[in-house]
Amino acid sequence: MPMEEQMHSFEPKIIAFVCTWCTYAGADLAGTSRMQYPANVRVLKFPCTGRIDPVFILKAFQQGADGVLVSGCHPGDCHYIAGNFHARRRFAVFRKLLEFVGVDLGRLQFSWVSAAEGGKWVEMVTDLTERVRGMGPMRDFEELALEEQWSGAITTPELQEAYDSI
Amino acid sequence: MQKYLSQQNFIALLSKLISDGKRVVAPRLDAGTPLYGPLADSAGIVLDQLPRRSAKETFFPVCEDIMSYDKVGQQVTLTNVTPASFPETILVGGRPCDAAAIPVLDAVFSWDYKDEFFLERRRKTTIIGLSCTQADDACFCTAVGLSPADHKGSDLFLTPVEGGGYACETFTEKGEALVNGNRDLFAEPNGAQALPPAEPQVEKFDLKKVKAWLDDHFEDSAWDGIAVRCVGCGACAFLCPACHCFDIVDEGTEKTGKRRKCWDACGFWKFTHHASGHNPRDLQPKRYRNRIMHKFKYYDDKFGQTLCTGCGRCIRFCPVGIDIATIVSEIGKK
Amino acid sequence: MTNTIDTSIYVAITEAIQGEVRRILSEGNVSAVIGYAAARRKGSAQPTVIVQPDDAEKLIFSAACVNNLAVYLTKAKKEIPKTGKIGIVVKGCDLKALVGLMGESQLKREDLYLIGVPCAGVLASTAQPAQPLTSDTIAPKCRECDARLPTGCDFVPDQQPVIPELERRYSAEIARLEAMPPAERWAYWKEQFKKCIKCYACRQVCPFCFCEQCLCDRNKPQMVETTPRPAGNAAWHIVRGMHLAGRCAGCAECERVCPMDIPLNLLNRKMAKELKELYNYEAGFEMQEKGPLATYDEKDDQSFIK
Repeated sequence: MPMEEQMHSFEPKIIAFVCTWCTYAGADLAGTSRMQYPANVRVLKFPCTGRIDPVFILKAFQQGADGVLVSGCHPGDCHYIAGNFHARRRFAVFRKLLEFVGVDLGRLQFSWVSAAEGGKWVEMVTDLTERVRGMGPMRDFEELALEEQWSGAITTPELQEAYDSI
Repeated sequence: MQKYLSQQNFIALLSKLISDGKRVVAPRLDAGTPLYGPLADSAGIVLDQLPRRSAKETFFPVCEDIMSYDKVGQQVTLTNVTPASFPETILVGGRPCDAAAIPVLDAVFSWDYKDEFFLERRRKTTIIGLSCTQADDACFCTAVGLSPADHKGSDLFLTPVEGGGYACETFTEKGEALVNGNRDLFAEPNGAQALPPAEPQVEKFDLKKVKAWLDDHFEDSAWDGIAVRCVGCGACAFLCPACHCFDIVDEGTEKTGKRRKCWDACGFWKFTHHASGHNPRDLQPKRYRNRIMHKFKYYDDKFGQTLCTGCGRCIRFCPVGIDIATIVSEIGKK
Repeated sequence: MTNTIDTSIYVAITEAIQGEVRRILSEGNVSAVIGYAAARRKGSAQPTVIVQPDDAEKLIFSAACVNNLAVYLTKAKKEIPKTGKIGIVVKGCDLKALVGLMGESQLKREDLYLIGVPCAGVLASTAQPAQPLTSDTIAPKCRECDARLPTGCDFVPDQQPVIPELERRYSAEIARLEAMPPAERWAYWKEQFKKCIKCYACRQVCPFCFCEQCLCDRNKPQMVETTPRPAGNAAWHIVRGMHLAGRCAGCAECERVCPMDIPLNLLNRKMAKELKELYNYEAGFEMQEKGPLATYDEKDDQSFIK
């Protein structure tokens, strides 16, 4: 269908913040099992989801991520005992804040993926990638970064040319 | 030269300037807050309240790019912002407290380093000032030697007259050029009486006496009491028509980015925080002392001018009600 | 219809405060009292520090006493003398901030002499200090106040505030925004954050922004842009909203002091609403050693996690 063809030309950038002990190992398992999944995901390894500061998610979107995946150990299985419990609360609150400010939560996904769940990793990444592909590029922060206070804005063709001539 | 501009022609003048492609900067409502900014439509002008921020941002932007860098492979390209690219601007409705601050800023921006970002905008802008018929108890322009009818800083000054419209007077070539370029809108003076100007209530400061005290009392326990309530934000400095400190920061990634110049304030604890970790103004009374010193002593020492036009914004919007008029008044009585 | 709000009790409250402060200062158990004094502008008030018993007569309480004085007790304010017991005049909202600070080990209850004020409300930032307190000029936060009579204080004048039922503005506005599609909400906040000039008045008056170095002032690493451009402003307010979640007591000082009229308390009240719905937590009522984001329950909601 024409719509799908159009969408396929957009390759979403997915940033995944994962914990070392569970999700990263699960992703590794997916790899060693030769499971195929979209190459759009860029994985960032943290010791624990408890180390993932909500500001990293914000920064990912600001720096061009179209979708963000945050994944860690199942509750009760955290290598550091309670890191993911703290993370769970933190992310529950942060996503509400992002939602209130106007970020579409379809682009932000949280999951528990254990070291044995290579298949679930594949499922999470594919899910998010295809959903974000359907939503299109995340333009909000990109457009925001181009805006200026009126007094500092580029308002003349000459000024614009100076910047474009790079 | 002296002219009369009817209310209708005033709006027509704005419309004409906008359609001529000039940038018309005037007080308008921005998401509900009165602010100076470019008018898209002459009907957007709002002249019944003092804009929240001063007119200085027409010449000294809140944040502006001054350079950009790009790296492709090992090749780095630096691109400067060209001052010649700034648009021609008419600043309309500059109150005396806002307009009078511009010549005061001229001194520092054309001192040992000619700040072309400021000066080119200055060259490209014509200022139409507007006299005030209302004042509140935070206004104190008269205390620093100005007045609601003072044309200092304006190229063309408008005074509201009875029956509507404005008596206009030009004070510079730019002002004359503006009138001459729009001759059909300006009529001969109609003899109407000017509406009585506002009367700020604060008593005139003895600025010489204030400076004399400041000259000799850098270390004085009075500063602790004066600044005890200051919380160290930048509201006073940012709203002030005369404050002009700025910071230069680089923002971007390894591949591309911009060097930006943006407002800074001496009230922030970081303002004098050295890379070594030492901070000569480590406590708020020292930072607040700097504010008063700069405005009523240092600027006079360097440029023979007071760095305050009595607009009262710092008094109205200080989170903790610090009243610079009271402070300076009391210093003058010591 | 504009209702005038009865502030006649403030006269008696002023006298009561003056008497009590004179007593505690002359008896020597308190070294200083932070309260409100009249300022030059008609009807206005400003924070002040009283150390001499005779100066107690400078203290007032009126509808212009808008400041949250708790900020002066935090470690961010090094200038206020912290030797001995400090007295402080607090409205209900200010007291909630103090409770939060005590929970976070920033203050000890025994170091404070709390002078609570029965409060009928204070003026909004849009009102002139000389205006009377009415349903039009009252601060939006006062419309939703549940702490008119501060509890647990060392001294509270025994006047009772009488306030008419007022429409709750924050809840209505939050509901209005929640009903919008995300793109519309983004447009709304973009328009508001564009006005920000990074004066940090919101941070400086907040009793809970007491970090020695704010995250947003650090450049190693730089997580939030410092420039007052729309992008940097949005990042700042989102980060601050998150750092206050579960701590903000709702004193709404941030919104009051913002020179650009940005509705900051909307963000904070929304977070408070979520904390209540998610973890049944409300800040400022009990001294909690650990806030809601420093604890967890094994059965916490994880419906959003796949």
